[in-house]
Amino acid sequence: MSQGVTCEAGGERLSLPSMFLLLSACLAVVCLLSLLFGAGEIGALDSLSSLLGMLDGALAEHAEEAAFVIHELRLPRTLIGLAVGMALGVAGALLQAVARNPLAEPGLLGVSAGSAFAVAVALMLGASAATLRISVAQLGALAGCLCVLAAARMRGVGNDPVRLVLAGAVLSGLLGALTSMILLIDQRTADEIRFWIVGSLAGRRLADLQAILPSLALAGIVTLSIGRPLAALALGERVAVGLGHHPRLVRLLAIGVVALLVGAATAVAGPIAFIGLVVPFAARALAGPDIRRTLWLCLPLGPLVVIGADIVSRLVVQPSELPLGVLTALIGAPVLIWVVRSRRLPTL
Amino acid sequence: MLAFRFASRPLLGTLVGLGLCALTLSQAYARTLSTAYGDVEVTDQPERVVTLYEGALDTALAAGVTPLAAVSTRGSDGVASYLQDRVEDIAIVGTAREINIEAVVAQRPDMILAAPRLPEDQYQLLSRIAPTLVPASEPYQPDTWKEEARFFAQALGRESQIDEAISGIERRAAELSDQHPRESASLVRWMPQGALVMSPMIFSSTLLTASGFDVSDGGVVKQGRPHSDPLSLENLSRIDNDWLFLATLNAEGEQALASAKSSPAFARLDVVKRDQVVPVDGQLWTSATGPLAAEAILDDIEKALR
Repeated sequence: MSQGVTCEAGGERLSLPSMFLLLSACLAVVCLLSLLFGAGEIGALDSLSSLLGMLDGALAEHAEEAAFVIHELRLPRTLIGLAVGMALGVAGALLQAVARNPLAEPGLLGVSAGSAFAVAVALMLGASAATLRISVAQLGALAGCLCVLAAARMRGVGNDPVRLVLAGAVLSGLLGALTSMILLIDQRTADEIRFWIVGSLAGRRLADLQAILPSLALAGIVTLSIGRPLAALALGERVAVGLGHHPRLVRLLAIGVVALLVGAATAVAGPIAFIGLVVPFAARALAGPDIRRTLWLCLPLGPLVVIGADIVSRLVVQPSELPLGVLTALIGAPVLIWVVRSRRLPTL
Repeated sequence: MLAFRFASRPLLGTLVGLGLCALTLSQAYARTLSTAYGDVEVTDQPERVVTLYEGALDTALAAGVTPLAAVSTRGSDGVASYLQDRVEDIAIVGTAREINIEAVVAQRPDMILAAPRLPEDQYQLLSRIAPTLVPASEPYQPDTWKEEARFFAQALGRESQIDEAISGIERRAAELSDQHPRESASLVRWMPQGALVMSPMIFSSTLLTASGFDVSDGGVVKQGRPHSDPLSLENLSRIDNDWLFLATLNAEGEQALASAKSSPAFARLDVVKRDQVVPVDGQLWTSATGPLAAEAILDDIEKALR
């Protein structure tokens, strides 16, 4: 647990608030870019003039098209990317703190897969209401989280990060297979779910975002209240108890928050893997291992990665779009390999 | 004609019908067909026909032959719904992508009608079971489906019926074309993730063309592909023509239209505002080929124009 010291070795470090502000500024720029670029004919310049209200009468029809694309297509996916990125980044950091494992990523460990499977079952049974889907996805995520915790307590798994990922891969594989089986059986579900299963921000509506806001707010409040005990837990169970915390309760609360966040993000955008790995990884590199500092940086970093990836996904295969989940996997897999290969796997 | 009436009943009728045909038409002589895998000799009227291609099943039924087995259509575990009444208890021996060779053997076929571009290794296996006929047609040409239908008809010894059916379809399409000014149209398979634009060269598109529509793909379908990748919602305006024929992979066209209309990017298209969107059965419009399918598609077009 001597990490806090070694990480400071890099020399002069920006203070947390200034790093947070800097990342937020980057995020604002990326959000603007997200409004400007798309797979369609409305290019960056058109979008910019439309945003600034500069298209004059001669181009009225064009202006109307640009306004529609920006307000009805790009704005919703940017806002949803914002929420999904924050949710997944924070969920990853929390899960890693609870499992004390830097590789504990909701997508890798089967939490997203549990959530996706639950939604597939619900769709097969005839559900399609958006609100039902969110609670179902959150229940599935919770079940996935509990499986992860159970696996982490198994002998030999808990203290070996890579084995936990292996256990998660097994769980993900199993749930993925069950989900594909449902897709094979029921063609109607297949059509509804096939794209969603890859993960994307395209075609989602602001109403979807509104539906998950209560969950996100609740998760935020709980996270604020357990920041300090979680940091104490990182010093070891006994220290935490000695400081007057209740490790079991804190862990359960954190798991509940992870389920809320991953379930909400999955319900809206589908399972998007690796965000929960890449974002806390970057946050730790910037702010050190203290969970309270990491969580703050995850807030701007998560959307930064998600929206950035989404912009790329729109531009690489015009006039079509690449599913976002494919792109985050391309970004995340090298990070995973790098973390695993780095000689000293940090324990949290 | 007698043979025709019998043939609409299942197996027994077919066998009797086939026998009658053999007697009356006396076409029971050996024929050599040139297929994609060289010349194949076919003798007699085949009695146990297995079709491994939707176009072959359709053509056989149009010619009055009821195959013993067929492959399922896309997005379903049976034959396409427009054919279901004609072959209620037909055996299913796989999908278009994956043929269950053992199930084919179990049917003890004396003729196998396969899809164009059947892989060679599968051909080698199948041709050991029964003469396997693979049309050598060039894909995505305006007359591909007619070529294939004539080829299968020749295999079954029923050229005249199919020639008649094809010229009937051509006549009907020309009549439809006379009923309205030439208009532009797009054929799209609506998926939850967006629109797959179908090529102007696929079967149903060529029928639209023959019925007086200029089928456009908005420049998004690559050469030699049946359809585009899912189009970004930002590019939906590329399919905004006079008419939009909207299909789903399963038969629920109306439902697809409802789900499409709930997308603001779709609802603002001109063609949607003018209510010129025609929901169609994707099995029929984007998977099937053959004379019966052509008639069913022309029915849909006629209904849309009315």
